Amino acid sequence: MINTILIVDDSPVARRMLKTCIPKDKGYEIFEAGNGQEGFEKYKELHPDIVFMDLTMPVMDGYQATAKIKEFDKDAIVIVTTADIQPKSIASVMELGAFTLLKKPAKTESIQEAISKVEIKMKKLQEK
Amino acid sequence: MNQEASINFSEDEKDILQEIMNIAFGNATADLAEVVDIYVMLSVPNIQVIGIGELPFYLKDTIKDDGESSIVEQKFWGSFKGSGLLVFPSGSGKDLLAFLDDRADYHHEGTAAATLEKGGLLEIGNILIGACVGKVSELLSTFVTYSPPQVLQGKSSDYNYLIEHFDPMQTAIVMKTIFTFKEKDINGFLLILTNHESIDWLRKALHEFMGSYE
Amino acid sequence: MIFSQMFDMLDVGIVILDSDLKVYKWNRWMATHSKLSPEKIVGKSLFDFFPDLNTPWFLRNCKSVFTFGNFAFFSQKLHKYCFPFKAYNTLGSDFEHMQQSCTVGPLRDENSRINYIYLTVQDVTEVAAYEHKLITMNTRDGLTGIFNRRYLEAKLKEEVDRHIRYNRPLSLIMLDIDHFKKINDTHGHQAGDFILKNLATTIDERIRAVDIVARYGGEEFCCLLPETTSESALALAEFLRMGIEAEIYHFKDKSIKITISQGVSDLSDGVDSAEALLKLADDGLYESKRLGRNKVSMITNKTKNP
Repeated sequence: MINTILIVDDSPVARRMLKTCIPKDKGYEIFEAGNGQEGFEKYKELHPDIVFMDLTMPVMDGYQATAKIKEFDKDAIVIVTTADIQPKSIASVMELGAFTLLKKPAKTESIQEAISKVEIKMKKLQEK
Repeated sequence: MNQEASINFSEDEKDILQEIMNIAFGNATADLAEVVDIYVMLSVPNIQVIGIGELPFYLKDTIKDDGESSIVEQKFWGSFKGSGLLVFPSGSGKDLLAFLDDRADYHHEGTAAATLEKGGLLEIGNILIGACVGKVSELLSTFVTYSPPQVLQGKSSDYNYLIEHFDPMQTAIVMKTIFTFKEKDINGFLLILTNHESIDWLRKALHEFMGSYE
Repeated sequence: MIFSQMFDMLDVGIVILDSDLKVYKWNRWMATHSKLSPEKIVGKSLFDFFPDLNTPWFLRNCKSVFTFGNFAFFSQKLHKYCFPFKAYNTLGSDFEHMQQSCTVGPLRDENSRINYIYLTVQDVTEVAAYEHKLITMNTRDGLTGIFNRRYLEAKLKEEVDRHIRYNRPLSLIMLDIDHFKKINDTHGHQAGDFILKNLATTIDERIRAVDIVARYGGEEFCCLLPETTSESALALAEFLRMGIEAEIYHFKDKSIKITISQGVSDLSDGVDSAEALLKLADDGLYESKRLGRNKVSMITNKTKNP
């Protein structure tokens, strides 16, 4: 079951856009962080089920933050969101252990599809 | 930001614009890789809302023209209206030509090297400006018409016209991004100046864009 | 109805292409100049009929228009033409092909998707011919037909900058006809002009296509030699000197022989400007005159300040 979601993005507008794409009827609790460092701190504190991670951010970027989160918790589910979606960036993000990569601007369909994929994965893990 | 400008553009609107630009320039970077087979990186754009009266100083400060840099300029118009300016560092024309290494395909005979070099700058300028303006337009559900790009001879008098027909009481939005040709280690910057006539439209378009997220 | 008439009425070529660059529409102008009817070409790849367009630059620009919805411009200056059509009505110019200015732009469907692009072709042969004439008038010497001093000086500055930037050798020869005044006085000014014209041709025939020979003053000429060391320039100067010494110019019933004095300079230590290059070549020329004419000399900064 997914209960908590953490959105890491330096742009308040981007966080707002992403939030509106997350279904409201599921009762998810949503937290926000304004950069990678803050995102990592909040992850340690809250253990969210899903992290939406922007790549270009001040203080600590999304690549570093993803690496740190995965180092702290190898089962962490980090969904990277970026406007610059190229084979090159996809490869490097997947290498860091990201769950998937979504193209910005956030679209309700792709966000919900990603969330369902996470649910399926979590169910499979529980059945084991 | 001067007082006039802040009246026209709220902080929230600026944030929305910034995010739209982040997305637009990111999308442009990704798609450019498909169009030209070299990795062009565009930095997160810096957005400034400035009074027209300050524009000449801004341009002079930013371009820091030593008379050596090559500037490609292209106008675009529609609801979204303005100019794109691409500033290459001095002496990069030749290296850029090597990047478009298919020049031999042109009907070359009798075409001077300088013309080829200029042609290369124009083609890259046209694609980079088109990529950025095109992606911004796409996100804001509009489309624009482009005039042919031209190479400015690096004299500040050449870009003074950009401000001549502006009302000094009006504002302009300047988006600046650094572009890097990865393999060639060439970088320069790209400015998109929006005409004050399109500011009202732009505000409306920003709200419509966010409207789909409410 | 009226809109579709325009498509064929305009004095502009219009082609509409799909995303595979197959021809979707081909207007009357295109049909007339290409002698390909729409029936023949519509539905086929443009490259089946115009294989020369199947180039990276054309594909790259079309892809850009499909991707970004921007425009692509193929100027006459750079491309001369996209479609090899016959030129006519060219103001006496010798363009074999119609000079064209072409533009490519996007066409969107109701969902703003770009499924087609258009290509317009404008005949700019007349403008190009006119421009060509103006450039010739502006850069050529009226008497001899070789480049003039203005062109040489502009080119010299450009080449000096370029050669310094890439650290390449560049040389200059300055030459002057010995006792030219005597030729004028003895045989008349017409003979003098005849000599100038023929000397220009003699030199032009003996230098490479990348070299530039210009009439610098009355009987003074300059050769700008890109990518050339002073050794090669000295050899060329000697070759010119011997060739001209051996030549006999026939004007009316007179046989005239001339000799030339030359000065050579190159981009080297301490020589880093067009002015310095010209000055040293001129010093060399003066030295050749001093040594008795019909000579080649080279003065460097080192010879001057050892």
